[in-house]
Amino acid sequence: MQPQTNNPTTLEPDAERERLKADVQREHDMYLRALADFENYRRRVERDRAKAAATGTRDIMLSLLDVLDGFDRALPYFSAAPASVAEGAQAIHRRLLDLLSAQAVTPLETVGTPFDPAIHEAIGSVESDKYPSGTVADEVQRGYRLGDELLRPARVRVVT
Amino acid sequence: MAKAVGIDLGTTNSVVAVMEGSTPAVVVNSEGSRLTPSVVAFTKTGERLVGQLAKRQAVLNPENTIYSVKRFIGRRFSEVQEEIKNVPYRVVPGPNDAVRFLINGKEYSPEEISAIILRRLADDAAKYLGEKVNDAVVTVPAYFNDAQRQATKDAGKIAGLNVLRIINEPTAAALAYGLDKKKDETILVFDLGGGTFDVSILDVGDGVFEVRSTSGDTHLGGDDFDKRLVDHMAEEFLRSQGIDLRKDRQALQRLTEAAEKAKIELSQTVETTVSLPFITADASGPKHLEMKITRAKFEQLTADLVERCVGPVKQAMADAKVTENDIDEVILVGGSTRMPAVQALVRRLTGGKEPNQSVNPDEVVAVGAAIQAGVLSGEVKGVVLLDVTPLSLGLETLGGVMTRLIDRNTTIPARKSETFSTAEDNQTAVDIKVLQGERELARENRTLGNFRLEGIQPAPRGGPQVEVTFDTDANGILTVTAQDKGTGKEQKITISGTTQLSKDEIDRMVKDAEAHSDEDKRRREEIEVANQADSMAYQVERRLRELGDQVPSNEKARAEQLISDTRSVLKNTPPDVARLRQLTSDLQQMAHALASTPSQSASAAGGGNAPESKPAGSAGSDDVIDAEFRRAG
Repeated sequence: MQPQTNNPTTLEPDAERERLKADVQREHDMYLRALADFENYRRRVERDRAKAAATGTRDIMLSLLDVLDGFDRALPYFSAAPASVAEGAQAIHRRLLDLLSAQAVTPLETVGTPFDPAIHEAIGSVESDKYPSGTVADEVQRGYRLGDELLRPARVRVVT
Repeated sequence: MAKAVGIDLGTTNSVVAVMEGSTPAVVVNSEGSRLTPSVVAFTKTGERLVGQLAKRQAVLNPENTIYSVKRFIGRRFSEVQEEIKNVPYRVVPGPNDAVRFLINGKEYSPEEISAIILRRLADDAAKYLGEKVNDAVVTVPAYFNDAQRQATKDAGKIAGLNVLRIINEPTAAALAYGLDKKKDETILVFDLGGGTFDVSILDVGDGVFEVRSTSGDTHLGGDDFDKRLVDHMAEEFLRSQGIDLRKDRQALQRLTEAAEKAKIELSQTVETTVSLPFITADASGPKHLEMKITRAKFEQLTADLVERCVGPVKQAMADAKVTENDIDEVILVGGSTRMPAVQALVRRLTGGKEPNQSVNPDEVVAVGAAIQAGVLSGEVKGVVLLDVTPLSLGLETLGGVMTRLIDRNTTIPARKSETFSTAEDNQTAVDIKVLQGERELARENRTLGNFRLEGIQPAPRGGPQVEVTFDTDANGILTVTAQDKGTGKEQKITISGTTQLSKDEIDRMVKDAEAHSDEDKRRREEIEVANQADSMAYQVERRLRELGDQVPSNEKARAEQLISDTRSVLKNTPPDVARLRQLTSDLQQMAHALASTPSQSASAAGGGNAPESKPAGSAGSDDVIDAEFRRAG
């Protein structure tokens, strides 16, 4: 603790005021700079994130599902093709499935489960004596999860 | 502190946005989407679903799934007879000719249904922000009457929200573009959404917007465009394969999705291919749809839809008593305004004016509402509004090109330094010419000021290091400092008012730069190639001098020939760029060959700091960048 008389404020009030004024100005300038830096940073991050999302796993997986859907639709016709051709095509299909599962893309099990709009998209209703009313009767397009998140809902028909 | 949000409560989809600092941000909902379908469903188990989930179960539960509630809110039952025909749920009369929805034997007002959507949007925003959301600004179409506005406000109240204000959608769009700062301008807002088309003409002055007229078509939108494409593809398929895909529900759904995707792609490219393998099958086996669609074909199929926009625009202009020359600003709202044909039409109807479309047209209304919410809740006042540099700042370097230090639209205050060097041997001064603008060549930009840094120690070109710092403070005052790192000598200039250009002037300069961008790029490239060739010739020449007799005479002759060839090509304006590139590459190889020649006096002559062995223009040369000053004087 310094004695009162040594306090520069009482000794040179004007100089002290000027010093404080300059300090405040400097601090304010620094504050504005920090804000500006953050603002520029945020803008960059946003741009990067948008770019990352566009090229992100999710989009790629979604477009791969389009290819997989093609296989799912083709499968019933494989039996009509020569055995060797069918085997080859099935091998490609398995390859694609393995690739997706390596990326944590897993199909949803739907048939016979209660309809749930969180993971199912209803495209129609059918009669059934196999399953109770309000459950999924059949799948028109398979749904998938990516990790724990829904990648695409399953398109289903529901028992009336 | 609770945040205020802006909500665009749409007919098909809704969007919620919020101010984050001084910038509006669109809220991502719990399904990861920025759009929430304006759909509410009541399931048989008594559950209430909103948005995407409600939409997914709609076909199973059509009578208890309410969409397009906006077409009913605040209206009388007797007014909505036509709308009722378009929906599968039950609409019944309530007290005083009010509209009621009959759901599972219970009556709901349109306000209650809208409230459920508003509550969900506010909850999503609260989750996104991690704060409570109580206050909101909600938008309505400009043509909404008092009853419709009051009903929308009541919906907010039912949702537990404090509705700070109901604002017009076109006004919100104008706010998103900061047009409230304009004086006495006329704005045309063209809003083509998924299912509705609105055109509004606004006047702005002293921060107040006045709607002068509105017009539109309540049943015209992007879905109509999709349908044209579906019909076209289905008919082509019917002609070639004899099967009508529209009769197969599943095939129709795939076709509709593919059509929407193709439409979106055709806004970017002039041709796309729709590919739907195994779309159907008959006795002969599976059938595939593979169809190329050009933008021209798409525009031909939808020309009449685009033309349907003409009437309302003309009507709105006539009602507001304005001509195309009176329109100062045009704003595009709604995803369908991304279509080139729609944009061309808007330009045609507004005298060729370039429309505002930098804000996502699906989100622009919510963004404007969020800005208004921020202002009303005092949030926007509380934050320091930071300015940006309206144009790039930089300096002139060798060959008369502009080297940018601070890019356009950088938030200020900002500071940036770069190190430059001399362009000539024994140069003792550098002239710093401070420039503002977007053109590549210095002389096409504004010169803000000049100064000279003297007293540089004589040295071979490229040796001295001059650090130039651009520092713009929060008021746009620019200080440019040049410091010779060798001697510590410093010189500076302060320029005020770098942000105080009129918007017209900025626009003109930016547009100018865009218009000349190809030509400027070519000229800049010419200069850069010439600089590089000159620098390479210089280095080879210097190396030859250092090595003296050690260089075999045939190699020396070849090197000298290359140098003289380069210099003679450099004398021509414009220089032969291809020839210079070839010569530069030959010189580079020569430099490599010479570098491997052992130099007996290398350490003595080079003094250790040997820039001579560095190929010119190799950007890796520490932080001395390739651009060099002109010779002073």
